[in-house]
Amino acid sequence: MSLHSRSVSFGYAHEGRDSFALHDVSITVPHKSLTGLLGPNGCGKTTLLKLMSGILTPQSGMVDLSGRDLASIPRRELARHIAVVPQETHPAFDYTAIEMVLMGRHPHLGPFRLEGPDDLAIALEAMTATSTDHLAHRAYMTLSGGEKQRVVIAGALAQTPEVLLLDEPTASLDLGYQLEVASLLMRLNRERGVTMVLATHDLNLAASLCDTLVMLRGGRVLAQGPTREVLTGPMIQQLYDVEADVRFHEDAGHLTVVPVRRVP
Amino acid sequence: MAARTKKLTLAFLLVCGASLYGSPIAHAQAPAKRVVSLVPAVTEMLFAVGAGSQVAGVGSYDNFPPETKALPRVGALLDPDVERIISLRPDLVITYGSQVDLEKQLSRAGIRTLSYRNGGVANVLQTLRDVGRVTGHAAEGDRRAKEIEGRLDAIRAKVKGRRRPKTLLAFDRQPRTLQQMYVAGGRGFLNEMLDIAGGDNVFADDRRESVQPSHEILLVRAPEVIVELRATGLAAAIGEREEKAAWLALPSIPAVRSGRIHMLNGDYLVVPGPRIAAAAETLARALHPDAFK
Amino acid sequence: MSAFDSTEAAPELVRAAVGVPPRPIRARLVTTVVAYGTLAVVTCLLAPLVGSTPISFSRVFDRSIPFIDNVDAQIFFVARMPRVLAGAVVGAALASAGVVLQALLRNPLATPFTLGVSAGAALGAILAISFGAAISFGPFSPVPFATLVGAILAASIVYGLATKPGRAMSTSVLLLAGVTLNSFFSALILFVQYMSDFTETFRTVRWLMGDLDIGSFSPVLGALPLLLAAFAVFAMLPSSLNLLSVGAEQAATRGVDVARVQRLAFVSSALATAAAVSLAGPIGFVGIVVPHLVRLMVGVDHRIVLPASAFFGAAFLVACDVVARTVLAPVEVPVGVVTAMLGGPFFLWLLVRKS
Repeated sequence: MSLHSRSVSFGYAHEGRDSFALHDVSITVPHKSLTGLLGPNGCGKTTLLKLMSGILTPQSGMVDLSGRDLASIPRRELARHIAVVPQETHPAFDYTAIEMVLMGRHPHLGPFRLEGPDDLAIALEAMTATSTDHLAHRAYMTLSGGEKQRVVIAGALAQTPEVLLLDEPTASLDLGYQLEVASLLMRLNRERGVTMVLATHDLNLAASLCDTLVMLRGGRVLAQGPTREVLTGPMIQQLYDVEADVRFHEDAGHLTVVPVRRVP
Repeated sequence: MAARTKKLTLAFLLVCGASLYGSPIAHAQAPAKRVVSLVPAVTEMLFAVGAGSQVAGVGSYDNFPPETKALPRVGALLDPDVERIISLRPDLVITYGSQVDLEKQLSRAGIRTLSYRNGGVANVLQTLRDVGRVTGHAAEGDRRAKEIEGRLDAIRAKVKGRRRPKTLLAFDRQPRTLQQMYVAGGRGFLNEMLDIAGGDNVFADDRRESVQPSHEILLVRAPEVIVELRATGLAAAIGEREEKAAWLALPSIPAVRSGRIHMLNGDYLVVPGPRIAAAAETLARALHPDAFK
Repeated sequence: MSAFDSTEAAPELVRAAVGVPPRPIRARLVTTVVAYGTLAVVTCLLAPLVGSTPISFSRVFDRSIPFIDNVDAQIFFVARMPRVLAGAVVGAALASAGVVLQALLRNPLATPFTLGVSAGAALGAILAISFGAAISFGPFSPVPFATLVGAILAASIVYGLATKPGRAMSTSVLLLAGVTLNSFFSALILFVQYMSDFTETFRTVRWLMGDLDIGSFSPVLGALPLLLAAFAVFAMLPSSLNLLSVGAEQAATRGVDVARVQRLAFVSSALATAAAVSLAGPIGFVGIVVPHLVRLMVGVDHRIVLPASAFFGAAFLVACDVVARTVLAPVEVPVGVVTAMLGGPFFLWLLVRKS
């Protein structure tokens, strides 16, 4: 499934005036791509993700899911196509990992149907895929950061979506967990063909994972295209006002970014 | 307003009873010329002993005798208006026992105070005499007290030897139901009035002034007579028949089966003042109608 | 359509994956309803057997004695049974409302009592009790209606505060808002008492302590429409509450109509609180003690917690009332005092454990 935003604008009402978070944003997330969403703080990454997941509705323009207007798709049906992984998840109660994952079945069950053996099997497969199956009966709150995030991703997978939107999923993780989650995402994208949009501050993560990049600055699209073409020194300078050294790393097999200095 | 007054005095009775003491309870001092009374029962006593013309101000809820209607109002238990009291230039103020701050303020202004405190029938009579004494009507106070004593003795004599019915004396409850009921316990003014009128309180063994019985307790105590002292406001809003019908929920109570449920209305029944003899007689007539034929 | 739909060989997969397969929700639900339902029913059957007075059960059920003469039967059927029934429905309503509010506000300390919803309902009831004689409609008591208005008012204020977009309410803000609402409504109650007659103040003071001694089944019937409406809505909520308690935005991305569920949850808990308060006065702590004990026993899934709490709440309040009726017999302790004695320390313990 592909996802497009067409001339999307969105503003938050602020002290009576609309201050725009996004201006006329048109992006394309190709089918089965792993698209990175880059940009400085406040550039509108999170807002764009919320618009693409249907939590927010654009004030003008539209989001298009394989030819259908997102706003016209009922909430539950949409949740069967698009799943979201937030930066952090703090449940108010002490759910077990398997309970957290099974909640991903909600769009398929609705408010009244109880999950059956099929749902359980799907949830457990999602846990196997994220290497969290051994944690099934552990309390979510007692898990480490990386385990938590993998459980949340398993929950999103249990929705059996075609599109997965992730908002800085590794931001609160240490290096080891970051790599763990990154390779998991890569695998899910390659093996299962899940289309992914990944908002991140981590340029090296984006370079290693994403085949496509979208760069946002001040609520407008600065550039978008294949990673190799877009992730360049001059582009990074335009995006972050930072001079950076971008090279291909032979061992890693992808571009690497070393920020050098801030340019005024 | 009448309903309001009745219920308030009723309540005050629970909080306080009757008896005066002050600092010092002056025999030697000159009789008070201008008296402010915040307490309905004492206001009645002032008029009863012939000191009515000396009353300069009364409490918000005092409305007996009718002469009180023309007098300035100075607040009551919760909201005494000190400025207004002082502006009336009294030489004696009768306060509730709990109004300690008010008494302090008045004594700083050089005004004598007398506190009204808990007590039973004997205290009512003593207070009546005291009120007479401090207002210069000692003889009239004694005469009224003796007269009341005589009438109470007459009632006692009339009911003497008669079978004393097990009686429930209720003074408040939720309209139409038997919930949140308050009844006279084995202590205090109402219990004593019931005793004089020739009834045995079914809660005589409960050493509280008021008891809140549950349905179960009411069934177990099984009163032969039920006397309800009712607020006149409620009497107007909800018919006596309807209120009596609430008791049909507990049909095994002897009083309910025999229909001996009495709804009595009127301030005088609950004010521990000079009208207690009339109140005792009303109660006695309800309990022993034959004795008054 | 889906990226991966694998339902083949489900049982093997389940076993291979987790060793012990999780118990299916359907079986857990049935076990819970049967176990907690039995607890509630047994408590309600045993409760009328005890009281401040010993009664003879052969007399209670002796058909040869006319009911009108049968004190034991009247104690059983008039004094105790309605009281037990009232305890059961009030306990169920307050415990369920607690579960719903806690999930909705993502806060385990939220209850009708701590949020001021009970106080709002109580204000309505006090107004109806104090001025009700003038505005009663024949046999219908104005109290349930007035409590409903008060509860809805308080719940709307909490709803307005808690669902302000773009910010989740912290425990401290929420409890502070609850404390503020509680003192605000208490002040209004005091004002009403000050303005009304003194003896009515006695009645309302007694009423505010909580009282289940209703003396007939008709007050329960009067509150029944509110209760039925509340529980009908409660039945729609549990799986949405699971998702909401994880996070409102995540719930939305999983197909929950968040605004609708929030509205339904607030309205239904206000309905349940109003029904409970109109029957028995503002009895506190049931909404916090019961859901927490239940979660310790059955886990946190709301599809299990909600029905279990309803039944356990019924059993809990009926048991508290048995204590209230017997501990100082023949004097009865207000049941609200008993729940407060148990619930106050429990609440503090939770607060300490949480921080």
